[in-house]
Amino acid sequence: MSWTTNLFLRLSPLILPYLVLFCGGVFLTVCQSIGVLTPLPQDGGALDAYAGLLTDRSFFASFAFSLGVAAVSALFAVAIGTFLAYRVWQLPGRLATAALVYKIPLILPHIAVAFVVLVFWSQSGILASTAHSLGLIQSMNEFPNVLYSGWGIGMILAYTLKGTPFAMLLVLALLVRFDVRQIQTAAMLGASGLRIFSSIVLPRLAPAIHTGFIILFLYGFGAFDIPYLLSESRPGMLSIHVYNLYFKHDLARRPEAMAILTIMFGFALLFIIAYSKVVRRLENGVRKL
Amino acid sequence: MKHVGTLLVLVLLFVLPVIVLLLTGLAPGWRFPDVWPDTFSLKGIDYLVRHHDQILSSLGSSFVFSVFTVLLTLFMCLFPAAVFARVEFKGKALLEGLLLTPALVPPMTFAMGLHFVFIKLSLTETMVGVVILLAMVSYPYMFRALVAGFQTMGEDYRICARNLGAGTLAIVLQVELPLLIPAVVAGGSVVFLVAFSEYFLVFLIGGGSVASFTGTLFPLLSSSNRSLAALLTLIFLFLPILLFLVMDTAVVRLYRKRGMI
Repeated sequence: MSWTTNLFLRLSPLILPYLVLFCGGVFLTVCQSIGVLTPLPQDGGALDAYAGLLTDRSFFASFAFSLGVAAVSALFAVAIGTFLAYRVWQLPGRLATAALVYKIPLILPHIAVAFVVLVFWSQSGILASTAHSLGLIQSMNEFPNVLYSGWGIGMILAYTLKGTPFAMLLVLALLVRFDVRQIQTAAMLGASGLRIFSSIVLPRLAPAIHTGFIILFLYGFGAFDIPYLLSESRPGMLSIHVYNLYFKHDLARRPEAMAILTIMFGFALLFIIAYSKVVRRLENGVRKL
Repeated sequence: MKHVGTLLVLVLLFVLPVIVLLLTGLAPGWRFPDVWPDTFSLKGIDYLVRHHDQILSSLGSSFVFSVFTVLLTLFMCLFPAAVFARVEFKGKALLEGLLLTPALVPPMTFAMGLHFVFIKLSLTETMVGVVILLAMVSYPYMFRALVAGFQTMGEDYRICARNLGAGTLAIVLQVELPLLIPAVVAGGSVVFLVAFSEYFLVFLIGGGSVASFTGTLFPLLSSSNRSLAALLTLIFLFLPILLFLVMDTAVVRLYRKRGMI
C-alpha cells in the first residue's frame, strides 16, 4: 500500500462523509436550482430561477436586510465580547469564577435566547414595565415598538446576546496565554489604559476577533431559528424566504428556493475567502514585535 | 472597585434573563405594568408534572440523538485528527480549511439539497437521518478539539507503547484514548449543545416523527403561556450544566483510579 493510499484511508472516515453528504448536498441544491432532479419536471430554461430572482426587488431587499442584521449583530457581539473578555481576564481569582455566568447564553438554544428578547423588549415586557414604573411612559403603547420596527432590531438583540459569550470564549482562550508583563511594562512607561488596550492587547487578540466575526456573521446571515421567532414580515430574512418557498408554496417553485440557497452558499464561500485575504494583507502591513 | 462595573454588566446581561425566566415561570399572571409579580403560583410546575410523559419523552429523544451525534462525530474525526496533528502532506492547510466549512456556511444550503435524497432513502422521519445531518453540521468542533488534543499529547506515549510491544488497537484503546478524554469532552460538549439546541434541521429531517425538546418548546415560545415556556427554557439551561458537571466528576474519578493525576 502506497503512502498516499494509506493517508487517504486514514482520512476516509471524515473525507467520505464530507464528499458524499456536504459536497453532495450542495451539488443537489445547485442541481435543483437549475431544474434538474426536482420532484416535478421543470420546463423552461435552466437559469429561469436565477433570472427571476435577479429581476425581483424583494429578493435584493431580503439579501440586503440579512446582510445588515448579520453584520450589525456580529459587530456588536465581537466588540462587546472582546471588551468584556478583557475585563473578565483582569478579575482576581474568586471573582473570575463568578464571571463564568457569561456562559449562560452559550448553553441556551437560539430559540430560547429569542424568547428572552421577547420577554424583555415586547411592548408588554419587562423593560416596558420598568419604564412605566419610572414614570417614563403612561401606557404600553408609548413604549417603542422595538420588535416590529422593520429594522430587525429584535433579531439583532438576540444574535448579539447569543454571540457575545461566544466571542468572549474565543478571546479568553487567547488571553490566558497572554504575558501580563507586557502590560506592566507599558504601564510603567506611562501608557494609559486605553492605549494599552488598543496598542498592545487588541493586536494580539485579532485572530480570535476575526474568527469570531466570520462565524457569527455567517451564522446570522443564514440561520433560521431566531428569525422564525422574531422576524417581521417585510423585508424578511433570506432563510425565512427559502422556508416559505420550500414548504408553503407548490413544488413548481422549488428551483427558486434552491437558487436562493445556492446564492447564499456562494456568498458565504466568497466572504470567507475575501475576509481571510484582507486580514492576511492587513497583518503583513503591521510590524511584528 | 473597578471590578464592580464589569460584574454588574455580566449580571445584567447574563444573569438577569435567568432570574426573569424563573419569575415568569413561577408567576403565570405576571403582566404589564408590574415590575414585580403580584402573586406566585405553582400552576406552571403543576402543568409540567401533569404532562411529564410528553416532556420527558421529547427530552429523552433529544438526549439520545445528541449523544449519538457526539459518538458519530468522534468516530468520524478520531483517526483523521491524528493524521492532521502528526503527518505533514501537501495541501494540508487547504484540506483543513475545506473540512471546517460545514460549520461556517449556512447549514440550510446543503441540508435542503439532501432532504430530497433522504426522502428517497427513507431516512427522513428517522433518528438515523437526524443524527447523520447533525453530525455533518457539528463535526468541525470535534475535529478541532481532537487535533489540538493530539498535538498536546505528542507522539512520545505512542512510541513508548509500541516499543513495549503494544499493537495498534491496544495503543489506541489503552494509551491514546484515555489521554484524549479532556479533548473529547471539550469537543463533545460543543457538539452535544449544537445537536441538543438545534430546531430547524431536526424539524426538516425528523419531521413530526423524531420528537425533540426544541420542537416541544417552540410552539410554546410564541404562545401566550409564557410561564410554561420559561420553565422549559430553564430545563434547557440546567440539564446541560448538570450533564457537564457529571462528566467532569466522572473524568476526574477515572483519572484518579488509573493514577493519571
